[in-house]
Amino acid sequence: MGTVIAIISGKGGVGKTTTTANLGLGIAQAGKKCVIVDFDIGQRNLDMVIGLENRVVYDMVQVMEGECSVPQAIIKSKVSDNLHFLAASQTKDKSVLSSEKVESLLETLKQSYEFVLLDAPAGIESGFEHTIEFADAAIIVVNPEVSSIRDADRAIGILDAKSQKVKKGQEVEKSLIINRISAEMVRAGEMLRSEDILDILNIKLLGKVPEDKGVIDASNQGKPVILNKKSLAGQAYARIAKRICGQEVPLEDIENMQEGMFKKLAGIFK
Amino acid sequence: MKNRQFSVKVLEIHIENEEETHAFLQKHHLLFKDHLLSLHGILSERLEAYLKEQGYLFVHNQTLPQGRSKKALVEEVQEQVQQPLQEAYEQLQAQLQATCVEHAVELQALNDELRLLRQRVNTKFTVLDKMVRSGQELKIEGDLLLLNRVNSGATISTTGNLIITQVVEGALRCDGAFMMITVSPKANIVFHGVEVDNALLENKLNRIELKENEIHITPVIKKEINWEQS
Repeated sequence: MGTVIAIISGKGGVGKTTTTANLGLGIAQAGKKCVIVDFDIGQRNLDMVIGLENRVVYDMVQVMEGECSVPQAIIKSKVSDNLHFLAASQTKDKSVLSSEKVESLLETLKQSYEFVLLDAPAGIESGFEHTIEFADAAIIVVNPEVSSIRDADRAIGILDAKSQKVKKGQEVEKSLIINRISAEMVRAGEMLRSEDILDILNIKLLGKVPEDKGVIDASNQGKPVILNKKSLAGQAYARIAKRICGQEVPLEDIENMQEGMFKKLAGIFK
Repeated sequence: MKNRQFSVKVLEIHIENEEETHAFLQKHHLLFKDHLLSLHGILSERLEAYLKEQGYLFVHNQTLPQGRSKKALVEEVQEQVQQPLQEAYEQLQAQLQATCVEHAVELQALNDELRLLRQRVNTKFTVLDKMVRSGQELKIEGDLLLLNRVNSGATISTTGNLIITQVVEGALRCDGAFMMITVSPKANIVFHGVEVDNALLENKLNRIELKENEIHITPVIKKEINWEQS
């Protein structure tokens, strides 16, 4: 029986889709079977980020409507055999989703995959609610800025109120990824510090991802940044994926890592 | 000693006119000759001489003892005996009344105290240790003690007192007697319909209360002094 993890943020543009693609690939590379599902009905883009846009034949809505079977709609990644993908519908909108359909789809996926990652839409409407409704865990992606934190806070509040697991008296495991940290800005005091964010949101920290210009290029090319072993963001995603798979990977001090190179050298000569 | 009790007949006359009295006595001489005359007013020499001449026994301007009936005497004796009793009774009654009033006042005070205590017990008091996240709204009847953060975009309103021990970044609406809030530069605090200036909440723990229609802010725990900086 697999684990359903919803990747949410509240605010748009903080890197949910990039995170989903990279973590999916990271989990697959760590040797676990993983499927990533785009829940952003009507505005799909996960297919592009993982470079599978020309392979989409059937989408999630068609599976739920019974037009095709789950295996028919699932697309296998070119990069890793362990990574599979289920696309969102680009023509329909989120009103086609219903709780029963989402539940039965997720039950089916849980039978064959260890991890089911759901890429939630931005905002907190019905599409978001359906994404979190049957999730066993949630990863909240934030940027170190106040608007992102507040929206994430709101999303967590809704998660705690609407999740089926919470309604049954269990707890949805929530963990935080702080994305796009700019070390210089944090040091200059222009960006929120990770400790402050954790204070406000009060959830477990899963990992920090530094700002990396390579991410945009990687997404444009359909090759998630995790494939670039030199990229700091890619390395960070790989560490997070391992943590999700249950491995003990110590947290890297992103804020002081980039400073590293030169300052460390300078330190040696002091 | 021998004694006898006599009943003497007395005629009392108030002399207003000498002639008239003289005429009256002459006319009724037979009727009153054995009476004792008790005269009041001016007794002229002529009239006195006449009375002596006729052998009248008389007194002038004297108050004679009044004979009373047995019943009246008994009443008088009873009254004499009863008066101190009555006085003692009245005194006791007054004392009793005073004690009663004292007790009533005491009872009233106790009742008031009891009512206050009952009110305090009946007032709902809520203790919460959960984060209030953005978009969440807590409406509390009565008092609230919150041991966790109030995040930006959250709202808490209470009809009673409000104490929050952590940072507040959301909105607070309080209609109780007082609030206790930590340093909260981002909070939006409305106390009894009046917005509280965040700059006034400079201490580690501040008490906001309503006194005579004015909002008072007093420090509960003062600012921490940082010795390193100074």
